[in-house]
Amino acid sequence: MNTALVAAAPRHVISLRSIAGRIGLLPALLVMLVAGMSAVDAQFYGIINVLNILRNASLLAIVACGQALVIIAGGFDLSVGAVVALASVVTAKTMAATSAAFPGSNGLIIASGVAAGLGCGVVVGLVNGFCVARLKVSGFVVTLGTMSATAGVGLMITNGIPVYGMPELFVKGFGRAQALGLPTAAHVALIVILAMVFAQRRTLFGRYVYAIGGNVDAAVVSGVSIRRHIVGTYVVSSVLAALTGILLTAQVGSGQASFGGDRMMLQSIAAAVIGGVSLRGGVGRIEIVAVSALFLTILGNALNLLHVDSRLQPVFLGVIMVAAVALDELSRRSKPRV
Amino acid sequence: MSDLELTVVTKDTDRPKLALGRRLWNAVLPVALAVLLLGFAAVDHGVLSPANLLNIAQQTSYLALFAMAQTVVILTRGFDLALGPTVSMVSVGSALAMAGATASGHGAAAVLLAGLGAGFALGIACGLFNGVVVALLGVNPFVATLGSYNIAIGIATTLSSGRPVQGVPAPFSQIFYSGSIFGVPAAIAITVAVGAGLHLLLARTVFGRSLYLIGTNPRAAAVAGLPVKRILVATYVLCSGLAALGAIMMTARTGSGEPNLGGALSLQAIAGAVVGGTSLAGGRGGVGTAVLGALFITILSNGMNLTRIDGYVQMVVLGAIVIVGVLLDRLRQERSQ
Amino acid sequence: MYVEIDPAPAEPLLRLRGISKRFTGVRALDRVDLDVRAGELHVLFGENGAGKSTLINVVSGTFPPDEGAFRFGGEEIHHLTPQRARAIGISPVFQEFSLVPSLTVEENLFLGREVTHGGVLRSGEMRKRARALIDELGFDLDPSQRVDDLSRAHQQMAEIAKALLGRVRLLILDEPTASLTERETGRLFELIARLKSQNVGLIYVSHRMREIRALADRVTVLRDGRHIRTLDAATSTDGELVELMTGRAIDLLFPAIAHRPDKVMVDVENLTLADGSVREVNFHARAGEITGIAGLVGCGKSELIRAIYGIEPATSGMIRIDGLPYELPTPRHSLKRGVAYFPANRIAEGLALSRPIRENASMTGLDLPSFARFGVLRQAAERATIAGIMDQLQLRPPNIERSAGALSGGNRQKVMLGRALTRELTVFLFDEPSVGIDVGAKLEVYEFMKRLVEAGAAVIVVSSELPEVLALSNRLYVMHQGRIAAELTGTEKTEQNVLSSFFRDHLTAEVA
Repeated sequence: MNTALVAAAPRHVISLRSIAGRIGLLPALLVMLVAGMSAVDAQFYGIINVLNILRNASLLAIVACGQALVIIAGGFDLSVGAVVALASVVTAKTMAATSAAFPGSNGLIIASGVAAGLGCGVVVGLVNGFCVARLKVSGFVVTLGTMSATAGVGLMITNGIPVYGMPELFVKGFGRAQALGLPTAAHVALIVILAMVFAQRRTLFGRYVYAIGGNVDAAVVSGVSIRRHIVGTYVVSSVLAALTGILLTAQVGSGQASFGGDRMMLQSIAAAVIGGVSLRGGVGRIEIVAVSALFLTILGNALNLLHVDSRLQPVFLGVIMVAAVALDELSRRSKPRV
Repeated sequence: MSDLELTVVTKDTDRPKLALGRRLWNAVLPVALAVLLLGFAAVDHGVLSPANLLNIAQQTSYLALFAMAQTVVILTRGFDLALGPTVSMVSVGSALAMAGATASGHGAAAVLLAGLGAGFALGIACGLFNGVVVALLGVNPFVATLGSYNIAIGIATTLSSGRPVQGVPAPFSQIFYSGSIFGVPAAIAITVAVGAGLHLLLARTVFGRSLYLIGTNPRAAAVAGLPVKRILVATYVLCSGLAALGAIMMTARTGSGEPNLGGALSLQAIAGAVVGGTSLAGGRGGVGTAVLGALFITILSNGMNLTRIDGYVQMVVLGAIVIVGVLLDRLRQERSQ
Repeated sequence: MYVEIDPAPAEPLLRLRGISKRFTGVRALDRVDLDVRAGELHVLFGENGAGKSTLINVVSGTFPPDEGAFRFGGEEIHHLTPQRARAIGISPVFQEFSLVPSLTVEENLFLGREVTHGGVLRSGEMRKRARALIDELGFDLDPSQRVDDLSRAHQQMAEIAKALLGRVRLLILDEPTASLTERETGRLFELIARLKSQNVGLIYVSHRMREIRALADRVTVLRDGRHIRTLDAATSTDGELVELMTGRAIDLLFPAIAHRPDKVMVDVENLTLADGSVREVNFHARAGEITGIAGLVGCGKSELIRAIYGIEPATSGMIRIDGLPYELPTPRHSLKRGVAYFPANRIAEGLALSRPIRENASMTGLDLPSFARFGVLRQAAERATIAGIMDQLQLRPPNIERSAGALSGGNRQKVMLGRALTRELTVFLFDEPSVGIDVGAKLEVYEFMKRLVEAGAAVIVVSSELPEVLALSNRLYVMHQGRIAAELTGTEKTEQNVLSSFFRDHLTAEVA
């Protein structure tokens, strides 16, 4: 009798939900934050502050993209902060060693340093992926272990002392350079984000990461190779963390085992989660995660400008994170099934 | 696919063999512990000296307490990443309360009460927050406690301005650190008493039984009418309460409220629980696994210290141990399936 | 849909010989033979746990057989994977859907077989092919919709479409009509006829006699993992098939129950659930009789009793238990009021598998003074009580300290029933009580219900097995699309009437 009516009602709800999902609360919050801050404090949109925000947001966004990918596939990567540190000191050490052996050949020095740094990421990612996909140990514990081990290796190499001796070209010509008014890190982040968005939407790898996180049994019976793609997500995550370590090294001018750390790891998870990546797996979009990284960075910056005690700032991060997920959870609960 | 057919399994025939296999697997960790101790002793005879053994026991008692706290929530498939910051917050809070009470001229007993009251109140508040967010709002425990991790760090460093809080009275340190009961140092005595109590709670009460049932199958527990949400909230409160006790003991040891006291404790406590054989999948573990794991980690780092293995190398070893521990546990579970 | 036509094959399309499969000590398949010819529909017939699912999983490459020969299309097949099975034309439609809920229909159709150019997806091409396939099948499906937004029937269609994408030589259907309406079933049957004429072989798992009659060329009966017999559908009788399946004559199956309807114990008025699965339902159940609820999978019948027990949230309506209004039900309060619920999925919602039988049986009674005082367990009393109950239910072996995971389906159901004997109860809600248990255990469950009803309890049975609800119930409700479609008593209570009440609804829907 009235099946037609009944069928029409849920469709309406779906469209509302998908509109909310597509645009999201986050960009709106971001615009409000920027507008509010610009009105309150002129320093906020000063060039120095904007560059500062862009630099930090870029670094966080790169790590968060990798973290998001791992979470979408149903995992966790606690080791990203330690990888940032390891990549930083290995890059710096390698450059110092190469420039001692081949003084002046800047191309070789930089290439070897960057390769060594990214290599660290590949190795840690492979170890994580192998333990999770082959040995079937939970991602949380595996990366907890590799986090401790990676951080230990970084400290062993340096004894906790910053490593200098990198070519000027790498620091001044790359790390602290600007092109088109944007810092290097922003360019790299843009490239990474675009590449990751493309990978998520248009490549087999991205599709399979969604499928594995969404319903691993279905992926298996559909003939998706699970292990390879899980290893892939951990490698991508670690390599992006290593890339961040290299960028930080170039920007600061020294390799330090104190880069990254727990703070970077926690922030990357926070950025992913606030950016709508579900810890249940299978859901999440890179571009929103990038926006979320920008949001978190601006929030921190705003709190600084407003002279909120820097020690109190983690409280805001914690509350926002819990609130974001709680809201998501509550809206999911009230979702009607057709 | 067909869950039903895959799990409809009757296996009476190979039960004796299984029981033996399980017993062997359970013996792995104690044997490893003994080997470890003897190995270190071969390098440095000081390892087995009474003084060092007492030292190990004392060091273990803190980590064991935190591993027990962590085990309680892990039993329900949860986590408490905020355990470390809770410890910092309680340390700072209780020290501030005691310093304040002393300054306003209260007697020793009142000062102690103020410290304990403030410490446990902060701990319980943190546990309530975690429990409510996890159980009532349905937020993943990882995110919920990551949130409170940040909040607790913020509160701890703000209250203390990032500096150690002085003014912890001597009697406080006396009771919770340097004192002893029947010749047993305070820290060991407290941990043993709490461990015994917790064991009874887990094994002999409806609450304890509920933790195992909820961890093994939360949906079945809810369908069977267990008050799952209420129990989960209580679990997180218990965890944070135990953390607060540990924080008070550590504050008594250092003699000041330390905003960085918790540091890496969250993850160390998880590592202790997991290495001891507590399953992150829930429903398996107890006081025994927590103590065993804590003992293992403490002996390992104590031995490495005495044999002068570099602190950074120790981090690498600890990381590897955590992974191997969980891998062994998974193999053990596969055996007993 | 591309279909290859074999030129009069010399041997059957699929030939299995001596296939065995063990799972941790249990023989799920024991030297099973199976032939499926091209252009034939071959029914696999057997009870739950007979090995049908294991067999179709072996054929579709989900897991390898431990021993036996596997020939397909005249070739020896080794190391079959799901991917390779699809590549050589074996397409399964599982009952547990192989769909990823967070992806769209189109993305699911191509999962594992995406059209790519150097790892880059060619979305336009895939969209075109998905549309073409869905149009050809005549399904009412939007390829860009997310699977978790679809109804169960539409998910089933998506699953079938997924199986028919690409070159299909052998199609495997596992109870495909369980969630489909009459009309959708009719369309599926047309499709099957078309596939047969195109020389596709079909393996069809079902225990609905009507479907077997309408579709089957041959029937293979499995029991306890063994091949019992393969018969020609045209020459075998229903009774013969059921006897082969159960290993005994059927008329024993349902006990004669003396219903003595008394006062109304459960009264539901205008109930609507938050997720829309139940809408404006009026319903009541009396003490001393079994009230049945029949309907297709996903019609809302389970959700209705789950809402009474307090697992599904209701948005409006009124529930009365024994005449008293019952607002905001929760399992805990339901048990206190004397209402018990026995879930259909005993693994997901019933038992804590790694815990002992004793703890599982006493789980619903932990608030009682007989099991705990002031929150402290009375372990000796618990042990004695549960041992007594399990003895009464004839649990074999009678060791209550074994883990529940070590039990067979029937014994697991006994543990669930044992819970009912730990406390005073007056209303019993059974959700698909005989799923996953063998005939002997079914009989014991029915006897249990008989005892309850004859002792004056109100029993509500929800079941997708029509013969079961028809035989057990005194009064039968039929649900369709979240509403009560009919209430049948006495002589109206026939299979024909139940089925036609779905059909009537559809006719009116189309007219409207």
